Amino acid sequence: MTRAVSLVVNGRPYTAETEDRTPLCDVLRHRLRLTGTHVGCEQGVCGACTVLVDGEPVRSCLMLAVQADGCRIETVEGLATEGALAPMQQALMAEHGLQCGFCTPGVLMSLAYAERARLTAEETVSEVLAGHLCRCTGYVGIRRAIERHWKTEEAAG
Amino acid sequence: MSRTDHAGPFIGRSMPRIHDPRLLVGHGRFVDDIDDSGALHAVVLRSPVPHGHIVAVDCAAALACGRALLVLGPDDLELLTDELPTAWRIPGQRARTVAVAARTVRYVGQPVGLVVASSRAEAEGLAELVRIDIEPLPAVLGLDAALAEGAPLLYPEDGTNVVGEIHFGDAPQELERVMASAAHVVERELTIQRVCHSPMEPRGLLAEWIPATRRLTVWSSTQSPHVVRQELATALRLRVDQVRVVAPDIGGSFGGKVTTYADEVMVCLAAVSLGRRVKWIEDRTENLTASYQGRGQRARARLALDGSGRFLALSAHITGDLGAFPIQAGTGPFQVTGLALEGPYRFERAGATVTAVHTNTVPTGAYRGYGMQEAAWIRERLIEEAARETGRDPLELRLLNLIQAEELPYTTRTGLGYDSGDYPAALRRAAALAEERARPSGDSVRRGVAVTPSVEITGFAPSALLEMFQIDWSGWESVRVRVSQDGTVTVFAGVIAIGQGIETTLAQIVADRLGVPIDWVAVELGDTDTAPYSDLTSQASRSLTLAGAALMQAADRMRERMFELAAYHLKAPREEVVLEGAEFRWPAGRTSLAWQEVTSRGWKGWGRSEPGRIRLEETADFDPPAITFSYSAHGAAVSVDLETGEIAVEDYWTVNDSGVLVNPLIAEGQIIGGVAQGLGIALTEEVVHDPVTGHSLTTGFTEYILPASADVPPVTVEHRSTPSAVIPGGFKGLGEGGVIPGPATVANAVAAAVPDIAECLTATPLSPARVWDALSATEAGRA
Repeated sequence: MTRAVSLVVNGRPYTAETEDRTPLCDVLRHRLRLTGTHVGCEQGVCGACTVLVDGEPVRSCLMLAVQADGCRIETVEGLATEGALAPMQQALMAEHGLQCGFCTPGVLMSLAYAERARLTAEETVSEVLAGHLCRCTGYVGIRRAIERHWKTEEAAG
Repeated sequence: MSRTDHAGPFIGRSMPRIHDPRLLVGHGRFVDDIDDSGALHAVVLRSPVPHGHIVAVDCAAALACGRALLVLGPDDLELLTDELPTAWRIPGQRARTVAVAARTVRYVGQPVGLVVASSRAEAEGLAELVRIDIEPLPAVLGLDAALAEGAPLLYPEDGTNVVGEIHFGDAPQELERVMASAAHVVERELTIQRVCHSPMEPRGLLAEWIPATRRLTVWSSTQSPHVVRQELATALRLRVDQVRVVAPDIGGSFGGKVTTYADEVMVCLAAVSLGRRVKWIEDRTENLTASYQGRGQRARARLALDGSGRFLALSAHITGDLGAFPIQAGTGPFQVTGLALEGPYRFERAGATVTAVHTNTVPTGAYRGYGMQEAAWIRERLIEEAARETGRDPLELRLLNLIQAEELPYTTRTGLGYDSGDYPAALRRAAALAEERARPSGDSVRRGVAVTPSVEITGFAPSALLEMFQIDWSGWESVRVRVSQDGTVTVFAGVIAIGQGIETTLAQIVADRLGVPIDWVAVELGDTDTAPYSDLTSQASRSLTLAGAALMQAADRMRERMFELAAYHLKAPREEVVLEGAEFRWPAGRTSLAWQEVTSRGWKGWGRSEPGRIRLEETADFDPPAITFSYSAHGAAVSVDLETGEIAVEDYWTVNDSGVLVNPLIAEGQIIGGVAQGLGIALTEEVVHDPVTGHSLTTGFTEYILPASADVPPVTVEHRSTPSAVIPGGFKGLGEGGVIPGPATVANAVAAAVPDIAECLTATPLSPARVWDALSATEAGRA
């Protein structure tokens, strides 16, 4: 059974005809062609597919697209503005916080949430990064990037 | 093209990776990201039993509903495919190929067929309708079952489950003679579990057959596009020039994507049969239960010492669990364990026998660390136990027996020729770092530190060496440098990008050698239509070492040609021309010419010195004259919770020498990533099979536990630099060094923390259950 689902993704409205059983990640990736959100396990564990739904981090492999009907979705494609990397993206690059880059979009969305929720750098590492698996970096570069970014933001007030 | 402030030199500079921005903004192009409009979707049919004969594959119900576009079973596959070749075999191994069509299944998850439909969900539903009728056979799960008297045989015609055997180093009787006369011999049985590579991106491919051109293009998440191209051509009975393989962005590999799998051949066959694009993306359960795995071996090993603590002999019998059949280089890691057993130490005698064994489980093969991590586990646990049993300081015992700097070059008893470095210096430095990091134990938490050294085979390998051992690979690398009309530079290389940052390091080398801004450089990898041939590509800690060496030569030749052209146009003597800020200048003549002007004229043939050499392209092949060896010393500080058996690695440090580093930031990332994988082996990762059904019990990331951020402590990386004497540029590899000594270092730190359980630390992972069992039998645990 299919039905129309309306989403506002990164500020742009979309309507997609989708089957009830289709997860949100598949609609984002294969219907809207926003392939930055990656699917690593389809079991809700690895965190690669994390997007923000009405501001809350969600595993888009575990949420059906129909459940997100009418919601505001944010994906990795919405972070950079006018071609310039967002500060958190710059920090990951500077600290070599990504290698293959497959898990990175999901990590970035969780970090965007943490930043808005005003979590500290320590909380972000222990509570937010803990929800992501990265097989390449050993997390050290990601943690350095978090520390760097949070320090910069603090300095900027 | 604008001028930039990115002036050289670039070799040796820690700089962010040039391709990071597109990955960060969501413009990665992994296989599943490629526009798949119009593609059909495949689902693989897999064996539900560990051993059995396929009686029939009944597709009638799936076909009858009209929604399946194609169902392939063993009959079709046998008719339409040939077997895949192998490259590295063990003496005695009968099988030289890997079958695509399975008549007899030998592990749960073995691919037996394929269903193709208009969507993945549709294909999954249809796969449920296919009935695979299998007559079950008794299965063997684990080495003991496989080697037991009267064990069921995977290949009855062999009369045994033993695949083959090889011996390295001193003869067994000579080892026995030395053992018999030694003052002290320590003997242990040491085990390394089976592990999954677990790249965050599973395997997957999009295959396209164009009937008009009769050409197959395959976008595949593979580490080895050229090898896959050759293998697909063989399996599908096509000419090699009918197959193009493109490796787009690869979401990690670690050795798991180095060869063509039978299911991948099936997907390509479906594309050819249907004349359509067919796509298959492996799911995580398939990845953890049916993709080839790594490690899985057990060693009975002995270390003999004289009265002063000198190592007299090291001997091991290594038994490797090869699984259902030998894949491309299935026994390779077991063999390397034997070859690399000695590590950085002097032994008067050393040797290893390696036996590979079939079991009814997923085949094993390459995994980052390739036998060397297993060797370090055996050797360093034995040394630690020898120190404990003889009452010596482990560090002093190691330093006493390490190969000294002035002894290099040094040939081991198994024939490895170590080239350069200072092994004791690295270990002393790691020990000094350990002193700063030792922390006190508490009542219920004990703490300990350990440091262990290792060597790493890198830049594998001279083609002549592979010929000598009749391993069906080439060892050379090739690069092509093109300077285009507009002055931009493109590097085409046979190595590929798997997250290790090779695009950036190759760009650094060519920008450095040519003297151009780095953002004028593009690096093209992974497309067999344009990439120079490479068998081993980015495996075996070789991509920067060997492609970098080739690039040094190609770039230097290109630089010389550019200077010759510039001199012609400036009407200047060659030796008086200088290149500064991408401008050629002749100071005496007060003339200058922009780099782009020289390249533009060069492509017109103006000023060429030879009529047969005009294109501004230079290709260099590089076949390493010898293996070059990196080395390191790792240290770990651990805590052991006496009540729960839980081990936490609280601190980790490495001192690493990989010769000249092109980009220390990237080098550090490679080492730390390897360390994390080593910690996974040490503490959490393990493939577990149900001993009765043969089904994997670790089918998702909640059972197969990868290290999370909290499991990886801060990692300090210190670099030393002894340039390789055999590699132009002085590079040595470092892709695997991070993983090699980790598990042994952690176990030795646990032994230091709780000496009472040291003797029990013989198998990884050191899970809380395993440690708790050991603790329960001791005073420390009962206290």
